[in-house]
Parts: sequence; structure tokens; C-alpha cells
Amino acid sequence: MNQHIDPGSLRADDGIERGGMLLHVDNISLSFGGVKAIADISFDIKKGEIRAIIGPNGAGKTSMLNVINGFYHPQEGTITFRGEKRRHMRPHRAASQGIARTFQNIALFKGMSTLDNIMTGRMTLMRSNILAQALWFGPAQKEELAHRETVEKIIDFLEIEHIRKTPVGRLPYGLQKRVELGRALAADPALLLLDEPMAGMNLEEKEDMSRFVLDVNQQFGTTIALIEHDMGVVMDLSDRVVVLDYGRKIGDGSPDEVRNNQDVIDAYLGVSHD
Amino acid sequence: MLYRETGDFKSNYAADQQTFPIKSERYLFWAAMAFAFLVVPFFINDYWEKSVIVPLLVWAMAALGLNILTGYCGQVSLGTGGFMAVGAYACYKLMTGFPDLNIFFVVILSGGVTALVGMLFGLPSLRIKGFYLAVATLAAQFFLVWLFNKVPWFYNYSASGQITAPERTIFGIAVTGATAPPWATYLFCLAMVFIFAWIARNLTRGQLGRSWMAIRDMDIAAEIIGVQPMKAKISAFAVSSFYIGAAGALYFSVWLGAAEPTEAFGIDKSFLVLFMVIIGGLGSILGSFLGAAFLTLMPVLLKNVMVGGLGWPTDLAAHIEIMLVGGLIVFFLIVEPHGLAQLWRLAKEKLRLWPFPY
Ligand SMILES: Nc1ncnc2c1ncn2[C@@H]1O[C@H](COP(=O)(O)OP(=O)(O)OP(=O)(O)O)[C@@H](O)[C@H]1O
Ligand SMILES: [Mg+2]
Repeated sequence: MNQHIDPGSLRADDGIERGGMLLHVDNISLSFGGVKAIADISFDIKKGEIRAIIGPNGAGKTSMLNVINGFYHPQEGTITFRGEKRRHMRPHRAASQGIARTFQNIALFKGMSTLDNIMTGRMTLMRSNILAQALWFGPAQKEELAHRETVEKIIDFLEIEHIRKTPVGRLPYGLQKRVELGRALAADPALLLLDEPMAGMNLEEKEDMSRFVLDVNQQFGTTIALIEHDMGVVMDLSDRVVVLDYGRKIGDGSPDEVRNNQDVIDAYLGVSHD
Repeated sequence: MLYRETGDFKSNYAADQQTFPIKSERYLFWAAMAFAFLVVPFFINDYWEKSVIVPLLVWAMAALGLNILTGYCGQVSLGTGGFMAVGAYACYKLMTGFPDLNIFFVVILSGGVTALVGMLFGLPSLRIKGFYLAVATLAAQFFLVWLFNKVPWFYNYSASGQITAPERTIFGIAVTGATAPPWATYLFCLAMVFIFAWIARNLTRGQLGRSWMAIRDMDIAAEIIGVQPMKAKISAFAVSSFYIGAAGALYFSVWLGAAEPTEAFGIDKSFLVLFMVIIGGLGSILGSFLGAAFLTLMPVLLKNVMVGGLGWPTDLAAHIEIMLVGGLIVFFLIVEPHGLAQLWRLAKEKLRLWPFPY
């Protein structure tokens, strides 16, 4: 089904089976000055699953995603993605290896249309050089049209045909979140990181977004790491959950296991730490 | 009906990507081009060439360049005058060093040299932004003008310190030098600007243009989705400087014929082009032309009305002009940051609905 979204992907298949290890996070520690955002955390993400990352505010969830896609550089620990171990990496390198993401605070390109925003998501897959682009007719146009077709499929999938040409700065919040998902999907990601995709949405928008996340996972087989505060959504969508609190990992397992874990219950009920 | 879009559905994505997706607009454009290329050359005289149309074309070329850097990629530059000087001096050295080289290639190569210099001065943009980058480009402006004043090699050790363009021909017709006919210099500039406006349009509608705009709108997110900030910024500096350098080459060789750095390439030129881009519309190819046309034609018009028509003194007219431009800059920055190009778009929308708004 993946070739549906991406007819001309140049990214080699990694040969990892569904259910095999896609990503290993090993003993990651990250601090900002005196603030320890992440303390010695390890977990993994299997290919094809939806892996939720939950925890109270300030637990270090966003920081964890930032480490995974190379935006933050941890002081200790390693990331192994598709069998390749690394410590330091520029974000655009992570992007070209197939890690795409959305942001807790929408980070769209406000002056550009929905279509251009999503086309930008295909940045790492397009190859025309500057001379071909200057001439336009020929290889550059051909490439542009091939990618446009894929992007139009994403636009159909997310049901945002009507705002194709609208500058995203003018769109309501819920639609912006959807466009941002589209931009991440356009990268044909091997791993999709979603940072609170449903935050600030009303019930109907949340249901739509949940459906899209589930469809992406099931139809395209995309592996997803999902940060979400709404427990109902997490329990419904995710295969496995990792729970963070004050930068530490306090739980890891299926939604049911996590729900019954005493540390997790304490963290959410605000039981004091000692 | 003048203008309609209804019923003009796109059957494929290629049609949707055209520069003028609406038929009537496309016809209008080609009619205007036919007029510019086929009719104007028969009527153009020395006054229109030297005071109105060639200046307009040269400034449009420079505005295209600055708009790529500032409007599309979001990097402010106050070095336009200095980069035009690089283009002009490269042009002069090439013309005198290689007398047999066709002037067309001389202008292109001058753009190329300026692109390299622009990349060099663009390096600070990897570290600094906004106001600090503006100051860095200002330093480039003063350094370059100083350099062309100080190093005699650049002006071939001429006693006056001036550079003078020798005669060069295309198809046997002079386009530079004192005897070049107005229609020939006009057509040469027009063809250059036409080709490079088309290239600018192509670069900005493709992947490179999107990487520039992504950096402009949110550089951190751009990097996270796979834009290489260095590649995007340095390519914007290179392409932008190419245009500005080519504009400088035309400015010196075709329009002025002779130039002296402090006078011709001062900081006032940097501001002039910046104002053109702001008034015309940041991030718009059309806006570059509208801005250049506006700031070239307005002084000519004002002068004709105030000095020629009303008989006011020249310096008073000049002051009024400066005040008007200042007022307009403030107006556009506050009220319509997308400039004349946006006003044109809005007017079209009105026209499209008129007379039946539905
Ligand atoms: N760039 C930064 N500089 C300094 N401190 C930071 C930075 N990023 C995160 N932190 C700190 O790291 C800790 C974890 O923050 P993080 O944003 O990862 O939490 P979170 O789990 O995503 O919280 P929320 O649910 O509110 O989004 C916080 O104490 C935060 O202040
Ligand atoms: Mg967060």
C-alpha cells in the first residue's frame, strides 16, 4: 500500500519486517543547564505499530521526539534507527532517512498555500538540479508533476481539497493541524512523529484526526510515535505506550498494562515524589 | 466580459501550474509582450530610452534579484548597490579584457561573478538574522564601493577613476557605446529581463523556491522537514546576486555608458531597490516589475508636472518626491505588506466578480 502514497520513492527499503525493531533509544540523557529533561531513558519502536508517549506536562515527551529527529543532541545515549547507530545528527539528515514529524505548536509555512506546504514535505525526495529548475520544461516539470500527483492523493485522503490554494496562515487551527499532518505524510516517512496532533481540537475534529492517524497506520503501514494527553485517544489508538514523568520512564507496555501500573496512576494523580 | 474564470476548469496539474492559468490573462500578457517587442522599438526615442524604459528594465532586473533574497528567502540585504558595482566592474573588465566576447555573455558572466561574491557575503546569514544581517550586508556595500575606488586594477588605471563602456554589438548592431541606437539598447535590455524574469518564475515555483520560502516562514521547521538551511540560503544569495550583478552590468554598459563607484553604486541605490521590492510586493515576480515601474515612472511624472507644468523649482519637486516615497513605504509596510502586486490581485478579484458579485 505504501507505493500508493509514493510512486517514485528513491528511499531504499530497509528490509525490516513488520514487527521488527525500527528504532532503539538507549540510555538517553539530556539536560539544559541544570534542568534534566530526559534521564537515562530506553525504549524501542517496532515497525508498523502506533507507539504512544504519554506523561504529565514537562515530562520530557517533546524533548524525546526532538532527540529522535536530531534537533536536540543528548549528552548521553544512542539512537539506533533502521539498524544504524548514531549520536549526533542534523535534523535534515534525519528527515532524509525517513523521520517526519508534526509539532505541538503548529510549525507550518504561513505564507505558503496548503499545496506548497505539502509539496515542501517531499523536499528530500526531489532531485532536479538548479539548471533543470531554471528551465522548468523537461525534467523539472516532469518531476514536479509526479510529486504533485502523490501530494494530491494526500490532499484527497485528508479531505482538504477545498483549501488547496489557500495560504495556511488564513486557515482555522484544526485544518492547520491537518495540513501539517499532510506535510509530514508527504515525506513518505518510515517513522512518523506526532506531537499532540489533537491538542486544542473539539470532539469532532479529534475524531477526524484519530481516524486519519489510524488510517495512515493501517493503510500505509506507517510506524507512528504519538504524544497525546487524551487518555481515551491513547487507549484506542496505540499498540504500546511508554510513560514518562520528570524525564524518567515510569511505565512501558500495552495500554492495559500501563493503565493499571501504580507508578503511572500516582504520576497522573499527582502523588508527591520522594 | 473583460475577465472571467468561471467555466475555466483545469483538467490536469500541468495546466494548473501555468504562470497565467486564466485564459484572458494569458492573452493579455502575450499581447503586451508583442507590443513591447514589435511595436515599441519603432517609436522609442532617446529620451524615453535613457530616462524611462531602460532604467525601468534595469531596476526591474535588480528588484527581481533582491526580491528572491528578501521576498522569497526572507534575508534582508542592504548591499544591492555594492553588488551592482561588482556586476558593473566585472562587465568592464570582461569587455576590455576580452573584446571579442559577445556582450550577451559578458552580462551573463558578470552575473556569475557577482553570484560568487554574493555567496561569500551570504555566509554570515548562516549565523545571523534580521537586523544583524542587514548590518553585515551594509558593511559589504561600503567595502565593495571602497574597493572599486581604491584598487586601480578595477578601472584599468584610468586617470579619472571612471570606467567607460566600449562599443559592443549583437548581430552587427551596437548595443553599448555612444552610437548605439535607442531601439537596440531597449530590445537588448528587454530580452534580458524577459528571459531572466521567466527563469525567476521557474525557480520560485519549484522545489528551490519552496525551500527558500520555507526558510523565510519558519527556518527551524524547514530544517526538520529536510531543507538544508545552508543550501537554501546560499543558493538564494547566489541567484539573487546573479540578477543584481547582471542588472549592474546593464546599468553601467547599456544605460550609463560610464560610471564612477561612489556616485553610481551608493547606498541610495540599495535603498531604492529595497523600496521597489517593498512597494511592489515582497515575494512576487510581478511585484518586482510594479515596484520598479512605480519608482522609475513616478519621479519622471512628478518632475514633468511640477517643474514642467507648474513651474516649481527643481529642488522643491525633488523634496516632495522624497516625502511621497517615504509616505508610500510607511503605507505599504503598515497597510499592505504584499504591495502593489496584492492590490492588483484584489482588483482582479473584484473584476472577476463584476458586474455580478456572487
Ligand atoms: N530548549 C529548551 N531549553 C531549556 N529547557 C527546555 C528546552 N526544551 C525543553 N526544556 C525543558 O525540558 C523539560 C521537558 O520539556 P518537554 O517540552 O519535553 O515536556 P513535554 O513532556 O513535551 O511537556 P508538555 O506536555 O507540556 O508538552 C521541561 O522542564 C522544559 O522546560
Ligand atoms: Mg510537549
